[in-house]
Amino acid sequence: MKGEKLAARPDLVWLLVWLAGMGVLLLWDLAFLNNPALKRLLNALFNTLAAGLTVVVLALLLGWACGAGLYLLERRGRKGVYLTMTFLLNIVRSVPQIVGILAGYIVLTLLIEREVLVGSAALLFWMSAIVAVFVFLDIADLVRGRIAQFAALDFYPAMLCCGVSEARIVNVEILWKNSRAHLLHAMIAVFGMAVFLQCSIDFILSVGLSTEVSASNFPATLGGLLATMDSKQDILAVGTILTDPAYTPQLFFRHLQGLSVAFALIFTLLCIHTITAGFVRRRRL
Amino acid sequence: MNSPRELSFSIRIRAGNRTLVDIPDYSLPERRLMILFGESGIGKSLINRAVYGLLDGDEFQATINGQDAASYTSTPWVRSVQENGFFVFQEPSTHLYPLLTLGEQLREGSLKDSVSEDAILGELWSGTPTARPSSLLGVYPKPYRPSGGEKQRMLLAMAFKKIDLFLARGEAELPSLFLFDEPTGSLDNRFRDIVLSMLFDRYRRMAFTGVVVSHDYSLISMIRKEHKDLAEAVVFRELALEKSALVLRKFEPETYLGWLSVQHPPPRSPGGRQIARIESDVGVFHRTLTIARDREGSVPAPLVLNQGAMTYLKAPSGTGKTTLAKMMIGLLRGERFSMTLGGDTVGVGTREEFWRKRVWGKSMTMVFQHADEALNPRSTVFDTFKGLPTESMPTRDWVRRTLHELFEPDMADEILEREVSNLSGGQKQRLNLLRGLSLETGLIILDEPLNGLDFESSIRVLDLLRERQQRGNSILVISHNEEIFDSQVGDEGIYYLVQ
Repeated sequence: MKGEKLAARPDLVWLLVWLAGMGVLLLWDLAFLNNPALKRLLNALFNTLAAGLTVVVLALLLGWACGAGLYLLERRGRKGVYLTMTFLLNIVRSVPQIVGILAGYIVLTLLIEREVLVGSAALLFWMSAIVAVFVFLDIADLVRGRIAQFAALDFYPAMLCCGVSEARIVNVEILWKNSRAHLLHAMIAVFGMAVFLQCSIDFILSVGLSTEVSASNFPATLGGLLATMDSKQDILAVGTILTDPAYTPQLFFRHLQGLSVAFALIFTLLCIHTITAGFVRRRRL
Repeated sequence: MNSPRELSFSIRIRAGNRTLVDIPDYSLPERRLMILFGESGIGKSLINRAVYGLLDGDEFQATINGQDAASYTSTPWVRSVQENGFFVFQEPSTHLYPLLTLGEQLREGSLKDSVSEDAILGELWSGTPTARPSSLLGVYPKPYRPSGGEKQRMLLAMAFKKIDLFLARGEAELPSLFLFDEPTGSLDNRFRDIVLSMLFDRYRRMAFTGVVVSHDYSLISMIRKEHKDLAEAVVFRELALEKSALVLRKFEPETYLGWLSVQHPPPRSPGGRQIARIESDVGVFHRTLTIARDREGSVPAPLVLNQGAMTYLKAPSGTGKTTLAKMMIGLLRGERFSMTLGGDTVGVGTREEFWRKRVWGKSMTMVFQHADEALNPRSTVFDTFKGLPTESMPTRDWVRRTLHELFEPDMADEILEREVSNLSGGQKQRLNLLRGLSLETGLIILDEPLNGLDFESSIRVLDLLRERQQRGNSILVISHNEEIFDSQVGDEGIYYLVQ
């Protein structure tokens, strides 16, 4: 019976798979990875997940505020403000995410150099805020889509006629009561996107920028850790097994840092994808 | 006429963990026509689909007379019923197959053997702009074309062809069942009468078992007046909840007729202040609508709504009654519209700010006709009253007291925290009405307020409306229940909308 119930919730199954996979990785690393590398790995994993969650929260707040705000501005006939906001958002939309985030990191770098930004928590927050600016539009579009869908139904004008405020209809009746599942789905997707973007950017930074302002100044993430010399050698070692298959077992004992980072990244992104897909199927979104 | 043999069914239908229907004794009088009433959402359609052997799928777990749906469907009785009978679905779009033209479906299977098609189509389309529906026969059914009424007529044509085939065989004992689930929901009263006359004419030729599901109690008067000879052949029954148990009980026609005979419109208060006045010439969607005192529209007159009075706006389906109501409450802007509301004159150019600040929920409200769509399905009953412009935030006690106006006290307590999506159609309609009627607005527009209600609930609603009138509210009703509202509103309060 429990098995049947679990089978009907593939998102929960994949969350458990992710927890189990990461648990096994941790136990293996505890047993076989050297202590400094283990600390770096745990720190990077924590930072990556914390940054991902921060991006999700910020993107949700921005997306909700912009989506609902734009709709209400349009309804109230505030054309000037509406068009200005739409124009600004479209500018953000037109910038490729990676380019936008890199530009944001340049600003962060300047702030670090001038010692305006100090402390890894503050840095992590602003790194996440920059990523959030370039991913929140997905949530804003979802919010606008949900409002438009419900505004076409009778329940919107029926509530208006009863004197219920539009802010309540939009925020409480449509978004909170009828769109939580959709928003949660979008948040899971944003989390995956945030992890991917954050790690890509950190990898680029760690590989390509000067050592003065680099991984040592920014909080470590999985992307940054993947770009270190040790990790790169570990990844390159994977290629060795093509010519020397007998070397395979050594990978799991001698090249753990790079492989653990790569595994944590790929496995996390894969699980996020399947959790999202399962959630969509279960809630029939 | 001897008392009929009853076909008895014990039916239990579940969807997942939820019991949708549990009725130990649902009986159909054999070779009689049963008119089945009951509040919307109580299970009439599901029960009849189960009887007809149409619940053999994954969506429901049905047990009929102790057999699962698949075993029941393969019994000889059900097979004969499906072969010789017909089921007219409530929603015609779900019945029609989108990959076959209407003509192909009208002549599908055994229907091609019927020779009465032309006569049936002629009767069903009589008096419509499409005198003969030959142009429709080549059309594939789509959501918006043909119209709901045309689809419904096409389904009825299939049903009558099937009845004619059954009659032509002349084997009265052959198990058969003709089920009409709200067969005239998209048609006006004139067509309702035509359809029922076609059914009764066929029944007179040879008795068969038929069920007509309806919410329209004025059928009773129509049958009593125009088909007296069928007084015994037509049986009225009602599905109802008795102490939370679903039962099928007799509905005595005298219950309705007796109630109707003592209804008199309350005298119109001469000193009633004018709440609103809508000029008779209205232009919307490039059409001209005229408000008039007569059905033909030869006596145009402004629609005057007075304090403490009920006003009734009549028109055939599709004329634009709801459209006019939406213009009155500022949801639609037409090309020509002028209304005096209190001391203000409003028209097509009036800014939405005016409606927001002065009208919605303050001086006027409107109760929409489809409660299913007008309420937030994810709200609880209690939450439905939150956000209304009442003096203070509604408390549970206040909502409970409000619900008591149309719900039994124990039922009101039970549903207070229930999600709207889990209410029956009739419960939703009562909640929809109560939300509007709980506001202190001078004018209340009610669009089909008796939609989906059983007789008992309809009477409670009418009592509540009378009480609101006495409090001084002006009520504008749009309804196809002419017989009922003619008994509530005097001639001076009746207007017609003419296109």
